[in-house]
Amino acid sequence: MAKNRRHFGIVTVLIVICTFVVYWVLDSVLLKPAAAVLEAGPIDYLFDLHIWLIAFLFALVAVFMCYALIVFRARGDEGDGEHIHGNGTLEIIWTVVPCFVVIYFAWISTTMLIDLSRPNPDEYVVNAEGRQWSWLFTYPESGAVTPDLVLPVDTPIRMDLTSDDVLHNFWVPEFRVKQDTVPGMVTHVRFTPTIIGDYVLRCAELCGTNHSGMLATVRVVSAEDFQLWQSEQLAQVQE
Amino acid sequence: MSLFTLGIARGLLGQVLGMVIGMLLTCAVRILLGWEAWAAEPAWTVGAVCSIIGFLLGVGSLDDWLKWTKGIPTPLHHGPPVDKPAWTRYFSVDYNHKVIGVQYTVWGILLLMVGGTVAMIFRTELARSGLQFLGLDLYNSFIGMHGMIMIFAILLGVGGMANYLVPLMIGAEDMAFPRLNALGFWFNVPGSVLLLLSLFVGGWDAGWTAYPPLSARGPIGYQLFFLGVFAIGLSSIVGSLNLLVTLLRMRPEGMSLFRMPIFCWAVFATSLIQLTATQLIGTSFLMVSVQRALGMGFFDPRGILGEVSPMVGGGDPVLFQHLFWFYSHPAVYIFVLPGLGIVSELLPVFSRKPLFGYKWIALSSMAIAIVGFLVWGHHMFVSGYNDILRIPFMYATLLVAIPTGVKFFSWLGTIWGGKVHFDTPMLFVLGAISVFLIGGLTGPILATVPTDFPLHDSYFVVGHFHATMFGGFVFPFFAALYYWFPKVTGRMYNETLGKIHFFIMTPAFWVQTLGQMGVGVMGMRRRIADYDPTLGAGQIESWQLAVTIAGFAIAFGVMLMLWNFFQNAEVGAAAGDNPWRSRSPEWQIPSPVPEHSFPAPLHVVGEPYDYGLADAGYVTTASTGDD
Ligand code: HEM
Ligand SMILES: [Cu+2]
Ligand SMILES: [Cu+2]
Repeated sequence: MAKNRRHFGIVTVLIVICTFVVYWVLDSVLLKPAAAVLEAGPIDYLFDLHIWLIAFLFALVAVFMCYALIVFRARGDEGDGEHIHGNGTLEIIWTVVPCFVVIYFAWISTTMLIDLSRPNPDEYVVNAEGRQWSWLFTYPESGAVTPDLVLPVDTPIRMDLTSDDVLHNFWVPEFRVKQDTVPGMVTHVRFTPTIIGDYVLRCAELCGTNHSGMLATVRVVSAEDFQLWQSEQLAQVQE
Repeated sequence: MSLFTLGIARGLLGQVLGMVIGMLLTCAVRILLGWEAWAAEPAWTVGAVCSIIGFLLGVGSLDDWLKWTKGIPTPLHHGPPVDKPAWTRYFSVDYNHKVIGVQYTVWGILLLMVGGTVAMIFRTELARSGLQFLGLDLYNSFIGMHGMIMIFAILLGVGGMANYLVPLMIGAEDMAFPRLNALGFWFNVPGSVLLLLSLFVGGWDAGWTAYPPLSARGPIGYQLFFLGVFAIGLSSIVGSLNLLVTLLRMRPEGMSLFRMPIFCWAVFATSLIQLTATQLIGTSFLMVSVQRALGMGFFDPRGILGEVSPMVGGGDPVLFQHLFWFYSHPAVYIFVLPGLGIVSELLPVFSRKPLFGYKWIALSSMAIAIVGFLVWGHHMFVSGYNDILRIPFMYATLLVAIPTGVKFFSWLGTIWGGKVHFDTPMLFVLGAISVFLIGGLTGPILATVPTDFPLHDSYFVVGHFHATMFGGFVFPFFAALYYWFPKVTGRMYNETLGKIHFFIMTPAFWVQTLGQMGVGVMGMRRRIADYDPTLGAGQIESWQLAVTIAGFAIAFGVMLMLWNFFQNAEVGAAAGDNPWRSRSPEWQIPSPVPEHSFPAPLHVVGEPYDYGLADAGYVTTASTGDD
């Protein structure tokens, strides 16, 4: 028993070290795209929390396993190990404790999800239609129709999505959120762009031959530029 | 000896004839209706249905039942065929579960090789950005083809292990229904032939998930693919029924459920899922098939069939996803539960220590099987179903992680305090644990909806499920192959080659799966023929190259293993009856196992995993132990 206690002491120290190392490795190799919307904040926070959990659980199992394999390797003898069939208390602990952990994760995800999908009375609405293999955007406010998406910065956006043919998916990696477009149905996705720049909208649902090339440019522009652009479009529509 | 003494040759001939007859039948009906005689899609569809029946008639899997309808008795024949060489039984209908187990396994390995070849082709394409040598349509067909062939291969591998091992482990003479058992295997052959054939009639470009509307409008290949899956599904259903009955009714006296070898519990849980969920993938594919062939718009929101049929619209594409995932989520546990059972089965043998928490491991398989039915919606978080549904599916999905965790901790408890031996099967078991750990740990991040937004349909998911399937099936399956090879052949494989295989494949797999996840986080979508080389600050191409190289290393390792088996099946060193000093019943009888496995009924006198307890028996046969 005393021997086991010493083992557990060493293992605990190793697990703590290993957790930080694994977290550090994952954090530096996983190259997330830049975060260009408000929603990326909470999503990336939850992502990070998951990486901590992954690092810890990986360390827990990997360290225990490797340590046991080294310490309890058969040293050329044909004998057997200890005759232990299990330990009810331990089993209950490692069933119940993870229960709380996952419920905690589910709970914060739920509240976050409700926040992310809450309608905003000031949201600016753009309609998007996916079709094999391009996008079409309609601006109800101006009646403009464009193949590229132009959005005002710092404005809550609601995209009303639909499809002309098969399933597609509206995804800009820098915006994090994604949503299928379904023929015969209107689906929604909400985000608030925070950084002016050009992004690529990438269809993320297999939609046939040229799925990989089903892209569109997304231009996030300042409020003034957007007004300007909108009046240009308006003028064009009226012609 | 003519080729047609082999059942499989007759079966394939029957399949061709069935196909032709089905096509002629379609033409005849169309002529009678006053339509143009030839229409490719209905002809191929009806032809494919008839070809499955043609195969079964040709191979002779229905013979006995047909005789029964005429009142002709058909006593079970034991042993190799009387008038042919003994090896021919492996190519014909045979009712011995050990033969059927080998048939399943070999056919599974063949499909594994075909599916792997397809993967290496498109992996080569992905090594660099830009399109090198594959066309877009061919690429799209290949990814679906790779996925579905591998699923077939896994189901066959699972069937192989279960059919060979379960009767031996519970000391049964054979499976409960030997004829049904053979039928279960032979369904797979015409099924896989149809699947492969689909590539030659246009392929199918919607991936293994085949979501409509895309799958409702593509080439004829879809119909063959749907019917191929249907045949495999029938195999799953009859096979699992057989295993359940065998496990419930044919255990020897004294073997209570909690005294079965743990692998039997895994098979029991798997079979429950197979028996009750497979119908749903059959139904969903059949409905798309009917929508295509007859214009019934089950999943058709408006008029995608255009002028072709007056029966258009009124359907819902999202409904398909519900039906599909109601099977296909539980299916992932069909793939992994038996493998996890192998891990639990082998760890005590090589740690020389009882399985830690037997009942917990057994019940965790059942918990996974049951909770697994309640989580299908996690594949549909962004499908457009009602937003509210996301929340219960998120909770249910996260709960599945609990019984999975119980298995890990119990495995650690088994190793702790043991005397661990590192033979090749044990190495693969440890590899399985490490890989399944990566796969399992990347599940919850997909299960919480906000983090699933960026990851869904990205390459991260590809990394996740390759890790779960390699850790839950491929590694344990290889462990099982090495472990029971001496039991099946009576010979030992080459241990050095086995170890080389392990040390090539395991690190290569880590690189592959982590690389896939990495490019997914960078923003690469899954199922794309070409990717943006600027992703990940321009690093993506070197990651892709690493994944491709790792893929080739894995393929090389697998070939090494097959060569090892091939070399030693006949001439390897004699293995002896029980080279691993296991307590399990199948190791208490000679290797290779004789035609009638057990000389006398088994008696269970103790616990299955009492390693470390002197003189504690598990089973005895009456002839040797009844003193
Ligand atoms: C800890 C337990 C697990 C959790 C929480 C989990 C969660 C998930 C989630 C949420 C997805 C959907 C990802 C998406 O498309 O956005 C997914 C995909 C998948 N998972 Fe798991 N998973 C777990 C274990 C497993 C296991 C054991 C397998 C067995 C092989 C598996 C196989 C798959 C497959 C095949 C897919 C992809 C299906 C597809 O879209 O083609 N997962 N998993
Ligand atoms: Cu697409
Ligand atoms: Cu799932």
